Amino acid sequence: MAKKIFKEIDEIQERDDDALDILKRRLVVVAVIVMIFTSLIIARLWYLQVNRGGDYKELAFNNRVRIRQVAAPRGHVVDRNGKEIVTNRPSFNVVLIREDSHDIDDVLKRLAGVLHVDISELWKRIREATGTPLYIPVVLKEDITWDTLAYLENHNQEFSGIRIEVVPVRVFHYGDLASHIIGYLGIINKKELSEADPEKYTGEDLIGKMGLEKLRENDLRGKKGSSSTEVNARGFEQKLLKSDEPISGKEIRLTLDVDLQQIAEGMMDQEEKSGAVVAMEVKTGRVLVAASAPKIHLDDFTGGISTENWNALLENQKHPLLNKVVQGIYPPGSTYKMVTVLAGLATGAITESTVFNCPGHYQFGNRVYMCWKHTGHGAVDLRRAITESCDVYFYQVGQRVGVDGLAEYAHKLGLGEKTGVEMEHEKKGLVPTRQWKLKQYKQKWQDGETLSIAIGQGFDLVTPMQVALMTATVANGGKVFLPQLVDSVRDTDGGIVDQFHPKLIRELPGVGRYLSLIREGLTGVVNGEHGTAKNARIEGLTVAGKTGTAQVVKLAQYKGLKDENIPYKYRDHAWFTCFAPAEDPEIAVTVLVEHGLHGGTGAAPIAKAILQKYFEARLQAFAKEKEEKKVKAVPGIRP
Amino acid sequence: MFRIDRRLFANFDWVLLLLLLLICGMAYFSLYSATYPPKPWGMPLYLKQCYLLLIGFAGFLFLISFDYQELLSWNYPMYGLIIILLIVAFYMGKSAGGAQRWINLGFMKLQPSEPAKLMLVITLASYYTRNEVIDGYSLKDIGIPILLTIVPFVLIMLQPDLGAALMLGVSFVSMTVFVKLRLSTYGILSGMAAIVGAFGWIRVLKPYQKQRIETFFNPETDPMGHGYQILQSKIAVGSGEMFGKGYMKGTQGHLHFLPERHTDFAFSVWGEEWGFAGSVFFLAIYFFMLLWGLNVAISARDRFGMLLAYGIVMLIFWQAVINLMMILGFLPVVGIPLPLFSYGGSSLLTTLFGMGILMNVRMRRFQTSSAKE
Repeated sequence: MAKKIFKEIDEIQERDDDALDILKRRLVVVAVIVMIFTSLIIARLWYLQVNRGGDYKELAFNNRVRIRQVAAPRGHVVDRNGKEIVTNRPSFNVVLIREDSHDIDDVLKRLAGVLHVDISELWKRIREATGTPLYIPVVLKEDITWDTLAYLENHNQEFSGIRIEVVPVRVFHYGDLASHIIGYLGIINKKELSEADPEKYTGEDLIGKMGLEKLRENDLRGKKGSSSTEVNARGFEQKLLKSDEPISGKEIRLTLDVDLQQIAEGMMDQEEKSGAVVAMEVKTGRVLVAASAPKIHLDDFTGGISTENWNALLENQKHPLLNKVVQGIYPPGSTYKMVTVLAGLATGAITESTVFNCPGHYQFGNRVYMCWKHTGHGAVDLRRAITESCDVYFYQVGQRVGVDGLAEYAHKLGLGEKTGVEMEHEKKGLVPTRQWKLKQYKQKWQDGETLSIAIGQGFDLVTPMQVALMTATVANGGKVFLPQLVDSVRDTDGGIVDQFHPKLIRELPGVGRYLSLIREGLTGVVNGEHGTAKNARIEGLTVAGKTGTAQVVKLAQYKGLKDENIPYKYRDHAWFTCFAPAEDPEIAVTVLVEHGLHGGTGAAPIAKAILQKYFEARLQAFAKEKEEKKVKAVPGIRP
Repeated sequence: MFRIDRRLFANFDWVLLLLLLLICGMAYFSLYSATYPPKPWGMPLYLKQCYLLLIGFAGFLFLISFDYQELLSWNYPMYGLIIILLIVAFYMGKSAGGAQRWINLGFMKLQPSEPAKLMLVITLASYYTRNEVIDGYSLKDIGIPILLTIVPFVLIMLQPDLGAALMLGVSFVSMTVFVKLRLSTYGILSGMAAIVGAFGWIRVLKPYQKQRIETFFNPETDPMGHGYQILQSKIAVGSGEMFGKGYMKGTQGHLHFLPERHTDFAFSVWGEEWGFAGSVFFLAIYFFMLLWGLNVAISARDRFGMLLAYGIVMLIFWQAVINLMMILGFLPVVGIPLPLFSYGGSSLLTTLFGMGILMNVRMRRFQTSSAKE
């Protein structure tokens, strides 16, 4: 019995052992599964840490280290006496670092309230930045006030991802003074970015878009600094790792004189004139005034101009966008007579004693060419011809010299070619020749056309800068200088990096006598009894100059009309170009007033005002002397 | 019950204890770095961890002091206790206004879902020991195990704690498959699982839970959310490279780029600071301990011991695998800790108690059943 029971127990035991053995075998399978998963995880670790470890290391670095560029203050622009024209001031911009912001919605909602802007405005800025890396700041608002700045700084914990960036912005101390010359900055565009050195420029940088800001970008820009800071996941800066200070841009010292420039621009603006004023040192070619009217409003361009403003500028019939100093081309009118005289004397076509009779008109072929004075000048010699601007005299000189002879001397005086002044898109104007006409129009030159050329009408086209340069050349006895706008480039500590010396382009040999004859004639224009520019006369200073009228249209219907009845756009352009003192010229001034009708009345007063300012000290001394003479004279009269 | 004879002492598994201590040591070491600098208020976590380890090892010693066979008679009362705790936690959570998974005991916050994982293993081991079927269980045979699993599963899902609930399911499957089912039962079960899964996706999962899963398959949709967490975890581990950045020098962890860096993502900190070499060192010890645990199961003297040891090893194993795969970007964020390594009192104590039971099985491997003695 007991044996049977024991046997049964043994059987059960055996069966249990068998069942246990089955489970044990399964456990071995499970161990294999555990090892498979272990290998899988280790393989994954190998992939992440060894194969791609470098990539992740970089990502971790990017996570924690924020390299921020620190904008370099742009170089200042000062006038010849060091008066600041353009400098910088700090602008506080609110920026969002998207990857640091954990609840953009909420932050923007509160920010919109603080900045007093619509939240959609902020979202728009963020949308525009779509596609750029998330650590790149998005500017939400520029130039916030001190109060707003203080509030945001004190509550920065509530604005995750929001930071304040300090960016230098341009300050124009004289408003829009010399706006065409100085130009403006704008955010670099894709094309500029692709051409620029990627080390120096990044996406949101400002770059000069016009004027010297563009031409002198390399000097003005400076070198950006950078700072590497360690930040935590919420974007709070933990410590500064590395910092490179930015290097300020260099200072550009212009040859311009702010006072003279202001006078020129003020007088043009006052009467809403359109045109250009240039003043130049005749012995160096340094430009003292370069004004184009109307001015552009530089602040409109800062940070990109609105389409509205842009279209208004384009449609304005006074063409404010044009820098008329070098981009405006006009017939030279009577100012061209300097060329005609020089060509006549130099080629021997006339001498200083040549006399022509002016009956008020001149018959050439089957056409009659009128003198501006229809009653005629009678017998006219060289000096009178210049002084009274007798057209008939110049018709005949022109006829003798021929168009190509005129062109040769026009070129010698710098017309028909770029002066090379540091301004953008300079036009070279036009000095016609026989060959030019054949090429351009497939027509033979008509000799009658030479007559028009001789008095500066017809095909001739010049820029105000060219006329100024020509005037300076006549004044200085035949030296053509490169007109210079930049005097020097300086370090922030005042050290001169680059100094510009007068640069002679060419010298006209053997014409000294002829030029002095011209100067005599030009002196008469201002000071003579019958001169056409008596408006430019200054007591105590001998001014020599030439007026000019550039015909816009030759329509007969406007001929007999009074000036004010001619539509603005059909009125003639008025030139006045002069130099002073006539005895030993120092400065040449050229004024062009678009549709200004007459050089003597429309243009000469502006030149006069500039000369008065330029020679202020001399004129004051003269006035004082005169006063003293009077005082001395008084006791003599008394008995 | 508290008899400890010399033979037991001789059979004490020093290797298992050593492996356990090594892992706890590394975890402690890493916790200090992950929570540095300590919060300026309350007890620093590394100190708290000290107390937890002491409690855990006290429990460990208690659990080796009696024959594990005793658990067969205690498992239903303990199971009932856990269910009550889950219900309490659920209602306390509700009154606290929102999801709450713990009961505040003062010195620690007990998450009943953690002991529930171990309790389910013990309960299923008991059931499958009492109801042994050699040729494979039929659907009818596993009705009660399913019920035993579903009750805590639902309670935990209601909290809601997807990770813990998932672990109950994983435990059930690994235990049940181990004791062998009939082929037909597999078919029916998997069909049912598909239906329940679909229903769960539509009706039960919270939107944030769905989002986690969706994010995993499409990380770009949510760069600041869970995709961000996984990415930061991968960056942390990956940037450790071969030899790591050095202890306390991990930037991802210390600068807070890593989410949950001392709990679910604790291993990311380890990977960042110790690199591939350190990670493999840790994993080698960790998985060797698990293999050793399987060896305990193989050498167990009876079915109950074997099922207990197996179930406990699997509980740790699957949690570790899911956690590591999540950290390494293989799985979505599911909120499952790395046992012994992730900070969390309930999880640590549960795991140490489990290890105690494992040791208990090991120590008593040569004993014949007490009935024979």
